[in-house]
Amino acid sequence: MTDTQWPVYEVFHQQARGEPHMHVGSIHAPDADMALILGKEQYCRRQACVNIWVVPHEAIHATAYENDDIFIRGTDKSYRESWGYQTPKTVRATDGGTADDG
Amino acid sequence: MDKIETLDALTGATREAVVHLLYRMADDELIIGHRNSEWTGHAPILEADIAFSSMAQDEMGHAQAYYEILHALGERDPDTLAFGRKPREYRCASLVCLPKGDWGFSLIRQFLYDAAEQVRLTALAESSLVPLAQLTTKLRGEEKYHMMHGRTWVLRLGNATTESHAKMQAALDRAYPHALGLFEPTEFDETLAQAGVCTREEELQKQWESAVAPVLDDAGLEVPDSARPVFGGRVGKHPPELAELLNQMQMVYSIDPAAKW
Amino acid sequence: MVVAVDHEASGLSSSEYERKLAEFEARINRGEKIEPADWMPETYRKQLIRLIHVHANSEICGALPEGKWIPRAPTFKRKLALLAKVQDEVGHAQLLYRATETLGPTREQLVEDLISGRSKFSNVFHYPAETWADVAIIAWLIDGAAIVNQVMMSEGSYGPYARALKRICYEEAFHLKHGYEMCCVLARGTKVQRAMLQDALDRWWAPIMMFHGPSDKVSTHTELLVRWRIKLKTNDEQRQQFLRQFVPKMHDLKLKVPDPSLRFDKKSQQWLYDDPDWEEFKRVVCGGGPVTAERLEARRLAHVDGLWVREAMVAAAQNRPIPMPSPN
Repeated sequence: MTDTQWPVYEVFHQQARGEPHMHVGSIHAPDADMALILGKEQYCRRQACVNIWVVPHEAIHATAYENDDIFIRGTDKSYRESWGYQTPKTVRATDGGTADDG
Repeated sequence: MDKIETLDALTGATREAVVHLLYRMADDELIIGHRNSEWTGHAPILEADIAFSSMAQDEMGHAQAYYEILHALGERDPDTLAFGRKPREYRCASLVCLPKGDWGFSLIRQFLYDAAEQVRLTALAESSLVPLAQLTTKLRGEEKYHMMHGRTWVLRLGNATTESHAKMQAALDRAYPHALGLFEPTEFDETLAQAGVCTREEELQKQWESAVAPVLDDAGLEVPDSARPVFGGRVGKHPPELAELLNQMQMVYSIDPAAKW
Repeated sequence: MVVAVDHEASGLSSSEYERKLAEFEARINRGEKIEPADWMPETYRKQLIRLIHVHANSEICGALPEGKWIPRAPTFKRKLALLAKVQDEVGHAQLLYRATETLGPTREQLVEDLISGRSKFSNVFHYPAETWADVAIIAWLIDGAAIVNQVMMSEGSYGPYARALKRICYEEAFHLKHGYEMCCVLARGTKVQRAMLQDALDRWWAPIMMFHGPSDKVSTHTELLVRWRIKLKTNDEQRQQFLRQFVPKMHDLKLKVPDPSLRFDKKSQQWLYDDPDWEEFKRVVCGGGPVTAERLEARRLAHVDGLWVREAMVAAAQNRPIPMPSPN
């Protein structure tokens, strides 16, 4: 039998304006416009949705899982976080400029 | 034109005409929804199966909504109207009664039908009958999707391969005369137009022709020259396929129409 | 044995293979998911392909017995619900074939393996749906049995399968309610309706009892599947969970379960039952069910009749970009 395999498109939906588009899955479709038409009913027939994106599967570039250690922080990076800082509840600066640690 | 704010305000000849209009619309929606539902589990590819099934659900949902209005106008409840009538009591056009045929036929039929529905819903959104105008306004988003679906498919299949072109042209030749039957004139047209409820069928047909012609042309398909409209559905004369369809549709219901299912 | 076969197929040195296998198993033991691009033993890949493929086939074949009743559903609510449910089965098949594709085979190959009888589908869909009450029993009890299995599998180790199952379980929740509501209505309905429901249960009970697969006493290769978290409970454990969940409800509906031995044993906290005919199970899933041929023929027709459509859409996409028309 002839191979009639349609290409794969990844589908992203946006649940409300202002929300990010989220990946929901993928479909076979002959072209991008059909992917929008068909993707809408496979992935958005129940949940709220205001917009969808479809992207050809080949257009996705991904990191390799075997390199997932690139995401591990080697040293203390708490300075990037708000919880990495300690500030007193009340601050009374003296004339000399030292804070009261209360 | 005076607005008719509530269904209760409908009287006399206008009321009778509205009832007839609603039966036509509801029966068309029910039967085409039923026909399209026959594709669920059998379409050319899973993704297409899902989308077409949603459209069948939409059409049946519209039918139910129209039957609800009829019920509010004193007719029987929606289930009894849908499942409990004899073939000659239905007011649907022959287009929707025909068997589903191949994918090309079902797509062309649905496209021609949706274009007609869109023309009608656009007219009804301005209807003097406020409850109907409100309902039809709500349905237009679904119809817009149906039009996108139909045009996208038809444009592609009409132009793609020699085989697909031939199949689509054959489907159009078969469906077109029946599609004209969607605009079968009725004895109520004048009353509906006078009361500002709905545009005359003749006028709707012209709008429909100018809506479908450019798409069919872009799809490389020719509207059959001498298509003679197939009438009769609006007065209860149907092709034999409707009785067969109803036999199936009413099979369980008629085991015991009084029972809860 | 498995390790040796996989090692040969992998083309890796023995120590390299051992290292990768250990990493793979450690990941699974930590409760992490395996993703398509990860290294995995060939046996893991093959078992998953087989498993998800059969699941996908079962969804699309499962659309057929109920689909036959869409045109006959007796009320608007039932007609719309059944149509939406069967549409979901088709949608689930789509999700599951996609998940299988992440392991290598294409959709086209998977579909052709199904229609040529090279791959299997669930035993229950080899039987006909004879009356409207069958639709109710299928939606309640078969979907119920499937949910027991799918909720478990959604905790499995393979990422794409687990993701698909999360979505599927969410959607199936409505199927179960829809089925239970129908059974309740029929059970409290007319004499004719009650008899229809009992008759449906009588015919479906044995296939349902086989649904989770052969008894642990005879089931093979479960150990490896459990170790790799492809399977999280044995067939008998799933069956017990199903019985715990559903038998009391069947009794509430005054349904007579057609197994005289069926009873709850307080001591072992297990339901005791007559073993179904596992020979029949084997015969049925290997293609000898009452309507196996009819099911495969329906799938073959859809595939073959749709060929010109799929081809034409590919051609249309290649010929020229056709812009989507504006809806107005």
